[in-house]
This record gives sequence, C-alpha cells and structure tokens, in this order.
Amino acid sequence: MRYALQRLGQFAIVFVVVTFIVLVATRIGSEDPVRDLAGGIASESVLAQVEADYPYLDKPLVVQYGYWLTDFVRGDLGRSYALSQSAVEMFQQRLPATFFIGFWAIVLGLAIAVPLGVYSAYRRDGWFDRITSQVSFGLISFPPLVIAIFLMYLIAVRFSFFPVDSDYVAPWDSPIRHFQNFFLPSLALGLGLAAVWSRLLRADMILTLQSDFVMLARAKGMSPRRVLWGHALRASILSLVTSVALQMSGLVGGAVVVEQLFALPGVGDRLVFAIQSNDVLTLQAITAVLVGIVVLVNLGVDLLYGIIDPRIRAARAMR
Amino acid sequence: MTLTDTPSDTVDRPVSSEVPPAAKRQRGRPSWGLWIGVVWLVTLTFMAVFADQLPFIRSTSRVKGAGNFAFGPGAEFWFGSDQLGRDVFARCIYGAQISLRIAVFSILTGLLVGGSLGLAAGYFRGWVDRLVSTVIDVLLAFPALIIALLIVQRTDSLQVSYPDTFGWLSRTWAITFVLALLAIAPLARIVRAQTMSLREREFVLAARSLGASNRRILVREILPNLVPAMTSVLFIGVAVLLVAEGALAFLGYSVKSPTPTWGLLVSESRQRIAEAWWATIMPCVMMFMTVLSFNLIGDRLARRFDIREATL
Repeated sequence: MRYALQRLGQFAIVFVVVTFIVLVATRIGSEDPVRDLAGGIASESVLAQVEADYPYLDKPLVVQYGYWLTDFVRGDLGRSYALSQSAVEMFQQRLPATFFIGFWAIVLGLAIAVPLGVYSAYRRDGWFDRITSQVSFGLISFPPLVIAIFLMYLIAVRFSFFPVDSDYVAPWDSPIRHFQNFFLPSLALGLGLAAVWSRLLRADMILTLQSDFVMLARAKGMSPRRVLWGHALRASILSLVTSVALQMSGLVGGAVVVEQLFALPGVGDRLVFAIQSNDVLTLQAITAVLVGIVVLVNLGVDLLYGIIDPRIRAARAMR
Repeated sequence: MTLTDTPSDTVDRPVSSEVPPAAKRQRGRPSWGLWIGVVWLVTLTFMAVFADQLPFIRSTSRVKGAGNFAFGPGAEFWFGSDQLGRDVFARCIYGAQISLRIAVFSILTGLLVGGSLGLAAGYFRGWVDRLVSTVIDVLLAFPALIIALLIVQRTDSLQVSYPDTFGWLSRTWAITFVLALLAIAPLARIVRAQTMSLREREFVLAARSLGASNRRILVREILPNLVPAMTSVLFIGVAVLLVAEGALAFLGYSVKSPTPTWGLLVSESRQRIAEAWWATIMPCVMMFMTVLSFNLIGDRLARRFDIREATL
C-alpha cells in the first residue's frame, strides 16, 4: 500500500510536469492569448466571452497553470470556442472510438503473441520457431502506417465487408458492425505489437523452462500443456506486461495515425484538428487526458507486478 | 541456410566475412539478411546522392500526358506516374534524400546530447544521475507524437511572426530538431546503462589506480568501448526515426509539399488507392525495405557485440 502511494506520487509529478510544459509551449511567444484561447479566428463576442471566462490571462504562466489544474481536477476540461463544444462533451463523443482501437489492438496483439511465443519457446529452434522469428522480424520493420495502408488496399478495397471509411459503432449496439469498423484499424496496430511481444515472451519463456520448478512439475508427471500454460506462462509474462505499459504512449500516436487513415471519429482526429487550427484549450485537454491515461496504465501495471509475481511483492514488503 | 551449415572440417577455407563460422551457426538468422540490407542501403544512398546525374532518374517535374495516374508501373515509368504526371520512382528517390537526411541528422544530434547525458549520469552517479534520470523520465512520459506536432506547429508560427530572427527555421530543421529531441531519452538511457557497467570493469580500475583523470578515463577508456553498442543502436534508431518522420508527414507535419518525403508520398495519393495503387504502395515498399535494412544491420551488429535490450 505504501508502495502504491509512493508510485502514485511519482506519477503525479510526471503528469504535472508534462501538462505544465504543454501549457508553456502553447502560450509562449503569443501576442494575443485571448485570441489563441478562442481558437484563432473568432468574433468580438466570442473574444469577450473568453475574457470573461479566463480573467487571469495576463498573470504569470505558473499562476495560469494553477488555475488550469484546479479546473481540471474539478472536471472542467475547458472548451473549444471554435466548435462551441465543451471538452467533456468532445471526450464523451470521441474517446470511445480511440479506446476501442487501442483496446482491440492490445487484445489482438496478445491473442497472436502469447500462443506464438509459448509454442516457439517450447519447440525452440524448430521450424515453427524459425518461421515465426523471420516473420516477426519483418513485421517489426513495418510501420503501423504502412501496415494500415496494405490492409486497406488488400482487404478493405477488395471486400466491401470492411469499410474504407470507418465509423464509430458501439459493440453493444451492433457487434457485427463494430467488428467491421474496428477490425482493420486495430489489426494494423496490433500486428506490430504482436511481433514484438511474441519475441519477448519467447525469450522469457526459454529461461523459465530451464528453471527447477518447471523440471519438478514435469517430474511429478504433469502434462506439458499444464506446465506450459499453468506454471511457466505466469512466471514469464513480466517483460510482456512491462512492454504493454511502455507501448501505451506509442499506441496513442499510432491510434492518431490509424484514425486519420480510416477516418474514424476519435480523439486523435480532433487532436490533429486542434493543432492545425491552434485551438489551445482543446489541445491542452486532450494532452492532459492522454498523458493521464498513459500514467494510470503504467501505475496499474506496476501494481500488477506484485499480483503476478509473489517474489516482487515480498521484495517490496522488505523495503 | 547452405552457408551456415558448412561442416566444421572445412574450417581452414578462407572466411570472407569477419564472423567466424562457429559464431555464425549459433545465430538463427542467416547472414544473407545482412547483405540484403547493406546492398539495399548502398544502392539507395547512391541513387539519392547522385539523383541529378543518373540518366535513368527523371526530375520530379510533371511529364506531359502522364497526369491522372496515366502510367502504371512498367518500362516507361518504373513505379508509375501520379496524379499530376510526376514519376513516382523519381519522387521516391528524391524523397529518400530528404527522409534519410532528416533521420540521420537527428539520430546523430540525439546521440550527441543523449550520449553525453547518459555518459555523465552513468559515470558520476549521485546527483548528476538523479537529475538526468528525472529528465529522461519526463521526456519518456511525453506522448511523442503530440509533442512533435506541437513543436512543429509552434516553430511554424515563430517563423511567421519573427521572420528576421527565425527565418532560417524551415520545416526541415524543425523536424530534425523534434526527432533529435525524441531520440535523446532512449539513447541517454542505453548509454547510461552501458557506462554504469563499464565503469566497474578492471581496466577502468587499472587506469584510475595509475592516476588517470576522470576526463582521460571517459575519453580513452569508456568512450571507445561504447562505440560498438552505439553503432548498432544508431542503425535501429534511424529505422525508428524514419517511421516517425513518415507518421508526421502523413499528418501533414513534415517538409512542405511539393518537396517529397516518403510519408508525404504515402499520404498524397491514398484517396485514389483503389484506382492507382502504385502511387501509394510503392513509397510504402521503399519505406519498408529501408526500415527493414536498417533493422537487419542493427540487429546483426547487436548480436555481434552481444548487446541486450538495445531496442529504442
């Protein structure tokens, strides 16, 4: 518990530093902060509105950050004056699409990586291992952008089952249409992840399979399947879990690109728009939320270690 | 696989590569992968550098009658022609000039800054290490794409608002700067870890007991030992940055059109991919082959010098 609080403190610091730098980066060198917050082109009445909403724009940046952080904690994420929509509404509309891309990408990545990694470690240097090794090395060199374009050309353009321009459909509204719209974007992100993860798992699994407790389990007469999936896998997934957390930040970037390519209405699409139109408030809100998510996932993974591996829990308690 | 399965009784035959056959057999990947990478990169660099002189590379200007994707890949236009009648192959080669230059420049800058930070942190430990590690953590926590887009956009507006002071700050420089910034944290981390293990080695102890100064130890003992690891990291890093530049270009934040970079070429014609696949797929293939080559070489070097976790 103490450990969890400590880590929470560290991550809170990272969150504050990152959001502060973004605030500075968006405000520095600005001649007319009111106009910037309004989102560039704005009428007099909107400018007056902005001035009424943000009376502290002439204060130092640190003070401005203080105000922003207080609002953020209270749940006021700012608003886009250009689109006359509050950031909270925007997230309600657009976060689900981005969430599902990321979520299915991770699920697909793991669904491909775990069986491949386990089996190629079990039959190490066999033909299966050699083929997956070559294929995953090739896949690692495929940028998500290129994978997405190939998938689009080879599948979406030929088979009308998958749309070229996707739309957001919630899985509880229509599972089939959800699958149609999200399968290719998620696969584009997930394939690269699967390639990295299957290699990681294989390396760890090979080490685990050489350890004594695996030999004991085999000697007791346990079937190879139970040893692999029950015992060895659990002891081998630490690097994999770490990598899932480390990839979060990259996944956010990948999601932005894939959303653009498949025309999915997600947060990334709005982020690009906010940067192009210099919509400072939306930009700040999106960065803060995305960084928050990345930080929270990292925290969660950190705590997961203890659950997965009792040895780590014991080591932490000793400190 | 025939090369690697050479029986051991032919050991006294002259070995062409620098790797002894025994070491070759241990590694899973056959070495032709490395040679594909080298050949591809050498050819590409040669064509990119001498693009203006080589007779078979057109200029990137429009060709009459080739507009609207009139030509598919063939003898006339190797990679076909694009919407405005430009040669896709020529644009890919000229794109290689820009993409490679940006990636190489920024990885070298990143290595210079990140390497120095990591070297200092790993060697001196203490407060230097704590400071550098904090900087690294913050840099790593940034969503890379967001910060890249933000910086490019800000430098754009700087250039517009203060043309006298920042007039030189073109997109090319802005992108190089951004990618270098993104490369700093991972590189610093790798160098720091390597330095930390090197400083405990006997030859450092020996140098210190002979009365060598910190500077001498760093420059003469530790730095040369970092070179092999860094070479492999450089290759893998260039691959990563090429991908990053592609993503930026795709979102409209790389060098301004019509200057071709691969990412830009990919994004330009993707709306028409159903009718004219070559204009989009060919730059994709170029990008893939180049990234693959850099990875192949980097991976081979990493195995050769036995570097673990040399991933960026």
